[in-house]
Amino acid sequence: MDDALVTLNRAFGVLRTRNVPIEGLALHPSGTAGESRLTFVLKADAATADRVAQQFHKMIGVRSVMVLANQDSTTEATR
Amino acid sequence: MSEMLSGAEILCRALVDAGVEVVFGYPGGAIMPFYHALPDHPQLRHILVRHEQAAAHAADGYARASGRVGVCVATSGPGATNLVTGLAAAHMDNSPVVAITGQVSRPMIGRDAFQETDIIGITLPITKQNYQVQDVSELAEVVAEAMAVALDGRPGPVLIDVPKDVQNQKIAYGAPRARARGQSRPPTPGASPGLEDGVRKAARLIAGAERPLIMVGHGVILAQAYNDVRALAEKTGIPVITTLLGISAFPDGHPLHLGMPGMHGEVHVNRAIQHADVIIGIGLRFDDRVTGNTASFAPQARIIHIDLDRAEIGKNVPVAVGIVGDARDITRRLVAAVEPRRCERWLEHIRGFVRPRAESYRGNLSPEAILASINEASHGDCTIVTDVGQHQMWVAKLYPYQRPNTHITSGGLGAMGFAVPAALGVHLARPNGTVWAISGDGGFQMNMAEMATMVQEGLPVKMAVFNNGYLGMVRQWQQFFHEKRYSCTPIWSPDYLKLAEAYGIPGYRVKEAGELADAVGRANAEPGPALVEFMIEQEANVFPMIPPGGSLSEPIETAPAGATGG
Repeated sequence: MDDALVTLNRAFGVLRTRNVPIEGLALHPSGTAGESRLTFVLKADAATADRVAQQFHKMIGVRSVMVLANQDSTTEATR
Repeated sequence: MSEMLSGAEILCRALVDAGVEVVFGYPGGAIMPFYHALPDHPQLRHILVRHEQAAAHAADGYARASGRVGVCVATSGPGATNLVTGLAAAHMDNSPVVAITGQVSRPMIGRDAFQETDIIGITLPITKQNYQVQDVSELAEVVAEAMAVALDGRPGPVLIDVPKDVQNQKIAYGAPRARARGQSRPPTPGASPGLEDGVRKAARLIAGAERPLIMVGHGVILAQAYNDVRALAEKTGIPVITTLLGISAFPDGHPLHLGMPGMHGEVHVNRAIQHADVIIGIGLRFDDRVTGNTASFAPQARIIHIDLDRAEIGKNVPVAVGIVGDARDITRRLVAAVEPRRCERWLEHIRGFVRPRAESYRGNLSPEAILASINEASHGDCTIVTDVGQHQMWVAKLYPYQRPNTHITSGGLGAMGFAVPAALGVHLARPNGTVWAISGDGGFQMNMAEMATMVQEGLPVKMAVFNNGYLGMVRQWQQFFHEKRYSCTPIWSPDYLKLAEAYGIPGYRVKEAGELADAVGRANAEPGPALVEFMIEQEANVFPMIPPGGSLSEPIETAPAGATGG
């Protein structure tokens, strides 16, 4: 996603308004100038994760969204 | 050739370059440089409202009626926070609005300066995107991008916060390069993978259906897919249901038009949904006011859902076939893919569900008669803007809409006070048409100060006030679900005729049906704004009603035992 505080804030808002619990999160440079990689580890079933991904997908400033299913540790999910 | 311009001048220039003709706003400290530059740009007509909420609703009304971006302007702090209800309404109903707010100067941000507020933070959940302009060099491109974002795909509001010192900064100005900021964009609709496959599957489902329905929402109006929806209905004989925001997308009185579904939908419409085996939903989000309890919604139906927003597919109801794309494009493809058929037995079946409309009023000044008089006075050619509450439901159920996009209301947010200011915007979008703002006595009192705007700006809006002395819809809920404890719902009104007179606006009061034609006819014929107050039955109810969270199969059709009225 765009490396902008407002985009980060909006991303949190997607989870907050839907009351999805966050187990872990990490923000890294993506390797491309002006872009960051934000990884959430969510306590959610696959359907909820998919719905959240759809909401991220349509957010302006988000470049791509991946759901890393069936991975239950922060280390793996952010690899 | 470039010239040195201030940020405020660039802001005006960028709005003109984007084709903006009307700006609704209210000046204040942090937006004063913009107002200083504004008179040099006569292409921008400024409408001075009496409260910033009205500026946002008016921009929303303008956007819905014109299909173009509505623009509102406010100062920092209270000016910006007063926009919030209007932006939330535009967000819920997908209306392209751009709000420009002044902000305290950059060195003061974060220091709790006078009239400083974090309007970016406040509006994050109710905007598609927002920008705080940090340097004048970004300003023109931000405006161009905001205008595009507001309209693109699923429309919605965008906010641009401009610190006062940025408005005063000077820079050599060249024409903005739209979208040059390189921000990523939402995917372009219409290019959904599997689209053809989805259309084929949908056509197969429709061919095999015995009891199909078409449900259309606001997306059909936004995409102007009226003719395509009509072609689909007429080729297949499938009856059409219009949601609150889909009203006027399909002509009332068409043999295939059933009416509005949901909480206050007619019994036969909801029964049809509960018996349907296939539902083709076009440009609607299956909102809870439409579905009631989703667990019991349309239990036999396989749902084909056509929506511009992928995130809507399967969000509220399970979907058999989801097709992402523009309502007009997809419906057109669907028309080509389906075989001609008829649904006579199913239509006969639905006709068996029709109940005579329960008389919900005493006396002869019925909502139906009032609305018929407005339709007659305007020769069926006006735009109706409604507020929120009982009158909104009566209009939705009873007004005979013939022309597309002539019904404008705050559907998703349900913002009382919407009608009068939104009607200002509708008039400016359709200056040669008639616009009636219909409110209850509660909602009208929220934004009645906008009568001054009508007079000062010469906006001939016709106002209808349904006066029952109650916050009627809440009173109805109290009657049905709260043991008739009318807590804080009786509402006093001023003498609206004298009030209108104080504004220099002609006013009429109607107490019985015999007075309707004369009063409404005269108000409609006034060259300027006019007000008509209708003294309706105090405890009239809107029937039928699905209790909140209830099943569409179990409507309330009469007032509970022991309760008076209705």
